[in-house]
Amino acid sequence: MDAASRPAVVIDNGTGYTKMGFSGNVEPCFIIPTVVAVNESFLNQSEGANKENCLAQYNAGIMADLDFFIGEEAISLSRSSGIYNLNYPIRHGLVENWDTMEKFWQQSIFNYLHCDPEEHYFLLTKSPVNSPEDREYAGEIMFETFNVPGLYIAVQPVLALSAGYATSKSEMTGVVVDIGDGATHIVPVVDGYVIGSSIKSFPIAGNDVTQFVLQLLRERGELIPPEDSLDIARKVKEMYCYTCSDIVKEYNKHDKKPDKYIKQWAGIKPKTGASYLCDIGYERFLGPEVFFHPEIYNSDFTTSLPDMIDQCVQSSPIDTRRALYKNIVLSGGSTMFKDFHKRLQQDLKKIVDDRIDASNARHGVDIKSQPVEVNVVSHPIQKIAVWFGGSAVASMPEFYESCHTKEEYEEYGASICRTSPIFKGMY
Amino acid sequence: MVYHSSFVDEEGITKACGCPLLPLKSHIKGPAPLSDPADKIDIVDEAITFFRANVFFRNFDIKSPADKLLIYLTLYINVALKRLEGCRTLAVGTKAIINLGLEKVPVPGEPGFPFPGLFALPQSQQEAELFRNYLKQIREETSGRLLSCAYRPNGTPNKWWLAFAKRKFMNIIVP
Repeated sequence: MDAASRPAVVIDNGTGYTKMGFSGNVEPCFIIPTVVAVNESFLNQSEGANKENCLAQYNAGIMADLDFFIGEEAISLSRSSGIYNLNYPIRHGLVENWDTMEKFWQQSIFNYLHCDPEEHYFLLTKSPVNSPEDREYAGEIMFETFNVPGLYIAVQPVLALSAGYATSKSEMTGVVVDIGDGATHIVPVVDGYVIGSSIKSFPIAGNDVTQFVLQLLRERGELIPPEDSLDIARKVKEMYCYTCSDIVKEYNKHDKKPDKYIKQWAGIKPKTGASYLCDIGYERFLGPEVFFHPEIYNSDFTTSLPDMIDQCVQSSPIDTRRALYKNIVLSGGSTMFKDFHKRLQQDLKKIVDDRIDASNARHGVDIKSQPVEVNVVSHPIQKIAVWFGGSAVASMPEFYESCHTKEEYEEYGASICRTSPIFKGMY
Repeated sequence: MVYHSSFVDEEGITKACGCPLLPLKSHIKGPAPLSDPADKIDIVDEAITFFRANVFFRNFDIKSPADKLLIYLTLYINVALKRLEGCRTLAVGTKAIINLGLEKVPVPGEPGFPFPGLFALPQSQQEAELFRNYLKQIREETSGRLLSCAYRPNGTPNKWWLAFAKRKFMNIIVP
């Protein structure tokens, strides 16, 4: 049974979480945080270590590079024992530490997925702002270290669009708003091709929302143990945050019915074991508000997300704009706030309508342009939309032909991975 | 700024330093005209309602001169909340606020005024005094209504309001 008849392995590495599994499945087998805990205690031992330590050090020296953990285990181990240090290989969507990334892939393939990399084709995903060198390094690691028979490096926003394409009759033209943990990108895609010059980056992502929620909780003097604070803020954000339509009205709603809106968070302090209660109120709607008014978090940013999406579409070729407005697809964990798509559609439609009214007023009553339809699409698998798109793409028969194969790698070298098949045209 | 004042109509209202002296639902003596009994809210109510939203913002577009008063009051509420930070009961809080009211109130052009350039400079000594008295009156009125928000009915501080004492409105640090 050769590799082409086995399901391909689909790995989506993000700043916060990595989704991995096999193609053809509806959801990934594992969703784990992208973090590696390394045992660095034996790296800096001096020469004058005494005899008892020598044996331990010798053993650790051979096994030292296998002594690491990834994902949830890494986080819990680093907390309980002091010898493990946490490393985050991916920051803001880009891989910064390739050694750690290789370790991460090693454990995920062998320990989590339990598969032999020589027998499966691989699909990796990359952020749209990646440089060709990054793709080359990834290809090098995959072919040299893991000996994979074939590799396809996909662009995340196109996979997010394919996810919609597979489930309903949506097009391969649309604006993908990908809000992850470390980076937010707005990418216009037309007929499956990314319009590179119109890609926009929004400086705020899931991590910043968590920080903001934490800041608000601290200002109110809520008792949160400092070791867990970021973790608790993240859980509060994921469980209780929602998007409102108007801040002042929400404040009034909170004041009138505190029992309905103010939630309680119960936790246990890790050091003492004592339990504590914490009130959660205004953070619930102020957190997601950061996307619509970024200056409440950081006064350097004044453009809101709907404004930036509008600028992105306006900078795309003029004949594609209507189609782009009609299909704005959300993807990424930080778009899962309740009613996020409704608020985004409302704000964006207002910007577009204002512009059309202004231009109508300038031209006079004779010429009236057709109203532009603005549609923000959301579906229940937004969080893993990129992974699902990868799974769908990898289960099509043309997939195996468009991968970079090991033979090509050995013939031409790692530079074959620089170009993405998107530009060669897969469909 | 996302929330603007609704008092855009300015005819028949005296002006000082480029700012209309809007009517207040106040019983305190001062130059402000008595407001129409039909009006449910006045500029002080607006400032308090919009405070928790506007305090986060740094950039303001002024749609009407009443917005300038709104900004001034937002800063004043921020300062007042800071004074109330250490006060555990309504009585202690009231004392702190009265102390704040007794301090000298600067007008535009004087060194202590927090927003240089926002208001026009007063043309005459009388205009400056008129504006100073109006500011004193509006500050006292705001303090009174703020105390009823910042403290619960049983006299203990309301943490949902006092949390905003730590926010620095437009990064202005007032002693």
